[in-house]
Amino acid sequence: MRRLLFRAFRWTWVVQQWLSRRFTRAGYLVLGGILAASVVGLDTNRTLAYQAFAFLVVLLAVALAASLTLRGRFSVRRSVPRFGTVGEPLVYKVIVANQGRRAQSGLTLLEDTADPRPSLEEFLAAREPGEERRNWFDRRVGYPRWMWLIERRRGARFPETPVPPLLPGGDAEVRVEALPVRRGRLRLVRVTLARPDPFGLFRGFLRVPALQSLLILPRRYPVPDLDLPGTRRYQQGGVALAASVGDSEEFASLRDYRPGDPLRRIHWRSWARVGKPIVKEYQDEFFVRHALVLDTFGGAGPPEVFEEAVSVAASFAVAIPSQDSLLDLMFVGPEAYCFTAGRGLAHADRMLEVLAGVEPCVGKPFSALRNAVLERYGELSGAICVLLAWDAERRALVEALRGAGVPTLTLVVVPADATAPAGEDGDPGLGPHRLTVGQIPEGLARL
Amino acid sequence: MNLPPFLLATALLFWGWQTGLWPVACLMASVLEGARLLPWRWDLARSDFNRVSDLCTIIFVSLVVYLGATTDAPRVLTLVFQWFPLVVLPLVAAQVFSTSPGVDARIFLWSQRKKADADGTPATHTLDLRYPYFVICILAASAANVRGVGFYVGATVLTAVALWSARPPAVSPAIWGGLFVLVAGLGWVGHVGLHQAQRAVEAVALEWLAEWMRRDTDPFRSSTAIGSIGRLKLSDRIILRVDPGPAARMPLLLREATYNVFAMPAWLAVDATWSPVLPEADGTTWRLGPAGPERARVTVSASLRRGRGVLALPADAFEIDRLTVVRVEKNRLGAVKVDEGLGLVTYTVRSGARSVLDDPPSEGDLILPIPDGAVATRVARELGLRGASAADVVAALHSYFRANFRYSLYRQAPEGEVSALEDFLGRSRAGHCEYFATAAVLLLRAAGVPARYATGYSVQEWSPLERAWVVRARHAHSWAVAWVDGAWRDVDTTPPGWGEIEGGQASVWQPVSDLFAWAGHAFNQWRYGERRGNVTSWLGWLLIPLTLVLIWRLFFRRRQRRAGAASAGSEAPRARVGTDSEFYAVEDRLNALGLGRRAAEPPMVWLDRVRDQSPVAQSRVRLERLVALHYRYRFDPIGLSEAERGRLRAEAEAWLADVERPVTRDREAAPR
Repeated sequence: MRRLLFRAFRWTWVVQQWLSRRFTRAGYLVLGGILAASVVGLDTNRTLAYQAFAFLVVLLAVALAASLTLRGRFSVRRSVPRFGTVGEPLVYKVIVANQGRRAQSGLTLLEDTADPRPSLEEFLAAREPGEERRNWFDRRVGYPRWMWLIERRRGARFPETPVPPLLPGGDAEVRVEALPVRRGRLRLVRVTLARPDPFGLFRGFLRVPALQSLLILPRRYPVPDLDLPGTRRYQQGGVALAASVGDSEEFASLRDYRPGDPLRRIHWRSWARVGKPIVKEYQDEFFVRHALVLDTFGGAGPPEVFEEAVSVAASFAVAIPSQDSLLDLMFVGPEAYCFTAGRGLAHADRMLEVLAGVEPCVGKPFSALRNAVLERYGELSGAICVLLAWDAERRALVEALRGAGVPTLTLVVVPADATAPAGEDGDPGLGPHRLTVGQIPEGLARL
Repeated sequence: MNLPPFLLATALLFWGWQTGLWPVACLMASVLEGARLLPWRWDLARSDFNRVSDLCTIIFVSLVVYLGATTDAPRVLTLVFQWFPLVVLPLVAAQVFSTSPGVDARIFLWSQRKKADADGTPATHTLDLRYPYFVICILAASAANVRGVGFYVGATVLTAVALWSARPPAVSPAIWGGLFVLVAGLGWVGHVGLHQAQRAVEAVALEWLAEWMRRDTDPFRSSTAIGSIGRLKLSDRIILRVDPGPAARMPLLLREATYNVFAMPAWLAVDATWSPVLPEADGTTWRLGPAGPERARVTVSASLRRGRGVLALPADAFEIDRLTVVRVEKNRLGAVKVDEGLGLVTYTVRSGARSVLDDPPSEGDLILPIPDGAVATRVARELGLRGASAADVVAALHSYFRANFRYSLYRQAPEGEVSALEDFLGRSRAGHCEYFATAAVLLLRAAGVPARYATGYSVQEWSPLERAWVVRARHAHSWAVAWVDGAWRDVDTTPPGWGEIEGGQASVWQPVSDLFAWAGHAFNQWRYGERRGNVTSWLGWLLIPLTLVLIWRLFFRRRQRRAGAASAGSEAPRARVGTDSEFYAVEDRLNALGLGRRAAEPPMVWLDRVRDQSPVAQSRVRLERLVALHYRYRFDPIGLSEAERGRLRAEAEAWLADVERPVTRDREAAPR
């Protein structure tokens, strides 16, 4: 039964898209007129609406036929940036070149993305936020869920942009301003040029394939200047960890040769000057390394909680100055990941790219994250935990970190209608701080 | 897409022309176009539009109720369509006189309204109601059904004007006009074809449906179920409500028609022409014959399909009172038919001692049919009926049938090649009322007593719900009438318990359908004015002051806001010097040629780019000088002198004249 509904939804989506993209507003009016005339004029003896019906049907048919005369050869070149951000307009230029022998005008540019229809498994498994509030029929049939899934996978909203008139062999530049709505990879599949028929009812389409993709980074919020507590810890590997692979450390001083020192460390010039072997002494590196722990075990909860948690993590990723400290992003996906940025290792941009592709983890217990984090507690100067819930497991993780001497800033992202449980031990400095979906900037400002 | 000025008014006048409602149409047109002339605008929020939408719903419901009560069912829908522009007018007028260019699309459904109130978000879809209203006016004009070419021509012209204003900018008028003429012609062919197609379908369907439709009593022919095999089932539908008066003996027989020739399996009324009956002075009393002493007074309430039908009358009726119909006719066999009455008639029949409707018997009333007459003669001889007096014959038949026969709704197939009547009289001795009546008539005729076959109803069921005697479809009955001692008498030989046997066939849902029938009857009584109730008659009038109060609340407690005349709500643009420079026309022309200035590109840079392209290179006028003048005109605080201003204009016009309008043709044929 669900399968049948799924197929019906797929088909109706195709029809909806055809109707909404191909018909102009005047075309909708003519369609509505046809429907109304068919109702009023069902009996041709009683009313004359059948005449209006025949006229409108012929009008639409001629418009459809006339729209097929849109012909031409075009080439399209987009200059799309590599990244965009959710919620911020993405502006880029498209150069449309007319390679035909006929001048073209009155065209409109439409961008086509990859097919946003979900697969059957996704449709069956998905849970729309707030679905409990819908009536029984909607929940059973699942059409609002379908629409929500389509909206989520759509990636970005593209307006329709008019194209200036094109001479044969000429080209024109079109400025497109899109609005990304979801993080992840945005695939642009083709460019469609549309022109309405002489009556202005139906648009003819010319499709030009142009594959391109860009990465939409998660939304970031302003984070206040944080004074993360934490001592500098011994980081094995030192500066060279950043510069190269190997085990050189930071040069500290020269000293006399002691038997047993590796010959590599002899400073030849000083020997030449002084006359006895002198050895370079290295100092191991101590600097600050923070962990940004992202909880990906929120599959059962509303998806916007997870999205906001990713956004919070992204906000911290760009806010923590990475000149002289390292930031480890730790989360569990198909396996436990630890991604380090800072000090020339990688810029915060790369961390954002990683965050753009994070998905909730299914099938693994929370202890996977706990083990991954606690493995490294020796190196951490401090930790920022972005959690999706506050239960015994997560509390245990935070307490284990604190017990190991790692000061932890705990942030819990809660849904908009969650009630605050009583008896929260809020250590004013180290959390847990609650961030409510929809009021994240305010919550962050309060830190 | 912009609606051309006065197009809505023209559409409304077209509607007025087709429907004949000129004054209303003129009023509505002036209301809607008055917004163009009057500077008043109201600041209406979404809740105000909600209320106006509710007002339109109220108008619609009242219209439907009013039309439903005053006209026949099929025409109600057509009239509702005709009046629809008036129903929607408040909403369109509210939008036209408001400060917003459209209405929020969420005002039309309650669920959407609740969601909008909860979200508080501004409208994502605003609908300009004038365009759908234009379509509504044309369709409403079509509902007026004024045959002829006027509607098609008018609708085509109006649509042409609307489409012309909505056409894409680069379309050549010749192509547009040619295509439109093609559409109009094909549309004409199409609608003629539709009409023909419906005629053909109707003809076929009518033949097919005719077998399934229930037939009204045909006073010329009564088809019986004599001869059919299986179970006979009639419906429980209540047909008549009868008040038999104090002097009546139940069960009462109400006769509809009489027939005199049996042609198996039907009885025919031969040689019975209709003669009109004239009413008395008050118009509702109809005298069927010379009056006599009144023996009984029966009141019958019946529904007439399409206002015509055959009346069910008790025996020996001589006058019908309170019959509100236009035409009454009777025939010599005692059938009375009426025409042009209301859907529900309640009439009182006064009957006397002898029948004034039926003619005295002729030799046709003694004729026996060829196959079954022999059987009847034989049985009559066996019973010794020949030669006895009419009263004796009747009594003998009553006792014969009561003793030997029983009532049954079920008939098996006969054995051997016998006719149904012979099988009934000889072997099975069981049948329904038509058997008994037919056999009685044939036996009476065989005994020499003139007899006819009568059909009608038997009143035998009292309904406590309706507090009246009700007659159902299964109480339809047939019996014999015999000429006894100079008068026609009913001879009902069907065994008396037949009503209960029929009642055993009643469906389980009979009480429920009776309830609905009672409610429907009460409504019909109110509708046709039979109930003299004080409440219901002026209930309808109460709607008018209520509507006025509603209008007052909606509109006159709203604060008015006098906004600017043409574009309400927009502020006058700041005056900037140089915006009327002719250089912009040059820029537009180059844009149309495909050499337009890109966004944020300075004009000089742009000219550098297109300098060597075809129309610019060949023009006599140097554009650089034009641009320099334009810059000074726009940005120089001192501005241009008169001479320089004139030079700017002249050079621009010369350049424009030099470079022709672009035509979308192939490159080889481009103008030089």
